[in-house]
Amino acid sequence: MVGLSVGEKHFIQGGIAQDLRTDGRRRLTYRPFNVETGVIPQANGSARVRLGGTDVIASVKAELGKPSPSQPDKGKGRGGEELSTELSGALQHCLLGGKSGAVGDMEVLTNVLGAGIDLSSLVVVEGKVCWDLYIDGLVVSSDGNLLDALGAAIKAALTNTGIPKVEVAVGASGDGLPEVDISDDEYLQFDTSGVPVIVTLTKVAQYHVGRHYIVDATLEEESQMSSAVSVSVSGQGRICGLIKRGGAGLDPSVILDMISVAKHKPLKKSHDYLGTPDITQPSSIQNSSWMQYLLYTNKLTELLE
Amino acid sequence: MRGFQLSLNQTQKLRLQRALEQLESLSSKSNSNASVAVADTIPVNYEDGVLKGHGTLDLDGEVVATLCGVVERVNKLVYIRTLRARYKPETGDIIVGRVTEIAPKRWRLDINFSQDAVLMLSSMNLPDGIQRRRTAVDELNMRSIFEENDIVCAEVRGFQHDGSLHLQARSQKYGKLERGQVLTISPYLVKRRKQHLHYLEEFGVDLILGCNGFIWVGEHVEAKGILIEDQTDKAEQLNTKSSSSTFMSLEEQERTYTSLETRQNICRIANAVRVLANLGFSVTVEVIKETVNLSSSLNLDIHEMLGSEFYVLVAEGEATRKSMFTKKKG
Repeated sequence: MVGLSVGEKHFIQGGIAQDLRTDGRRRLTYRPFNVETGVIPQANGSARVRLGGTDVIASVKAELGKPSPSQPDKGKGRGGEELSTELSGALQHCLLGGKSGAVGDMEVLTNVLGAGIDLSSLVVVEGKVCWDLYIDGLVVSSDGNLLDALGAAIKAALTNTGIPKVEVAVGASGDGLPEVDISDDEYLQFDTSGVPVIVTLTKVAQYHVGRHYIVDATLEEESQMSSAVSVSVSGQGRICGLIKRGGAGLDPSVILDMISVAKHKPLKKSHDYLGTPDITQPSSIQNSSWMQYLLYTNKLTELLE
Repeated sequence: MRGFQLSLNQTQKLRLQRALEQLESLSSKSNSNASVAVADTIPVNYEDGVLKGHGTLDLDGEVVATLCGVVERVNKLVYIRTLRARYKPETGDIIVGRVTEIAPKRWRLDINFSQDAVLMLSSMNLPDGIQRRRTAVDELNMRSIFEENDIVCAEVRGFQHDGSLHLQARSQKYGKLERGQVLTISPYLVKRRKQHLHYLEEFGVDLILGCNGFIWVGEHVEAKGILIEDQTDKAEQLNTKSSSSTFMSLEEQERTYTSLETRQNICRIANAVRVLANLGFSVTVEVIKETVNLSSSLNLDIHEMLGSEFYVLVAEGEATRKSMFTKKKG
């Protein structure tokens, strides 16, 4: 990442103050984004999200495993990403809601999936066999705003996931693992309306106290960021997680502002796009100009194969 | 240039395809300047005695390409020019570079070349404007002229014997560039013309098409005049510099921002350059102006210029323009 001269930084900050960023967007406008599902045929579910120059792929693989002893009637999930520690921690907090103490990549998404998906549907034989979901994220190219893209990719991948139907062989098993027959044809799908979508608001502050924050920062704007708040919002408009990055302080009124903006962002409308099999269903429109922008820029190539 | 992905629906794809095909058929040198891939034979008139240049190989008496690119012929020399090539400097080119390092008596600039270019302290006008010998004090104050990461416009003076590139910025039109943005495109999209520094009056914007692929779009700055004006300017500069380094109130800083109208023009021009670069068209002032006028005539929001519909429109516009041009010629 090349540095920026003082003149360029001044220009970027001036643009944000005047609501006209370097590529002509307003402060709260997203770049045109594009979601494709089913990009990895070998995985149970996958999605690729392109948000301007940022390109991320998320994949979901399901394998049979043993349920955790504390929750014998639920399946498990594990996540892994190749991200810097700071971003990976932020991703967990956003999806998880701050419940995780460890910054490790494993075991984190279980709680999130519990919130978003009915994990009991993942169980095969209670206490003995369940489905383990492995969710991986890969950043192909980064042009800022990785968290939002990854959140959208994970949600789309989960929507696209098909868990094969399993038939359990009847017979005494005792302590051993029962025989299971994995069908090749029939698949179960999740209802992912509860899985949250992440909205990141970046504050590019100067020495003075400004109240301006932007959505969907590019790499140059992110290099100037003083602080960023990432909010994960579920389809019902509820806040699932919140994290603040960056060293500068934020006034509480600014944070409340950011949260209310995050709840009404157009990316939230993508809950309907990313979560339903039929994209022609109109969703309730809160702000008609956002919807027009959404229809103009968001092109879903294939949602469910 | 970052790779971009356009999501086009079927009709848009067809229209874009048709426009690009039309452009290809119109390009006059479609026979001898064929694009080749690796291991393609290059059609050459063997009796003339051919000089094999970069990217070619003599294989079984045939001239075969070793790179993917376009065949260029200069008299007897045949070579392959790749499309994503690094910038190839020539003396007299105007370039835009970014300072990476301050070395004794020189600045090193990154200009998208295989090595950093060098701008000597002696090739740069001193702030007080007097022509004199550079002293040790001048050397210590180099940072007050250009700092690291500053954007500089300069001219290629020539190559040194060790292959490094030397620049000069003696004229008033060269120097530090502030109040604007830099765009990076492929160097071959900027053709060498008579003039690279443009002032677009109707927009109030300076446009510098660096031959190295760095394009500067910024607020118009009057070239500084003579000694007296230099001094008053310097005093102003010192004031703004010291005040920006301490806490500046909101109003003061807002006063120093570019005006909204100029900013809109800058962003529109920058987006036009981005669209043209992503489509692979040569970037010249005329094409940029046409693209900007097209977008304003359609009343597009500035950020919508980066949407797929505008890309297709620009490609179609370019195809019609080229066809009209060839009709006029022929």
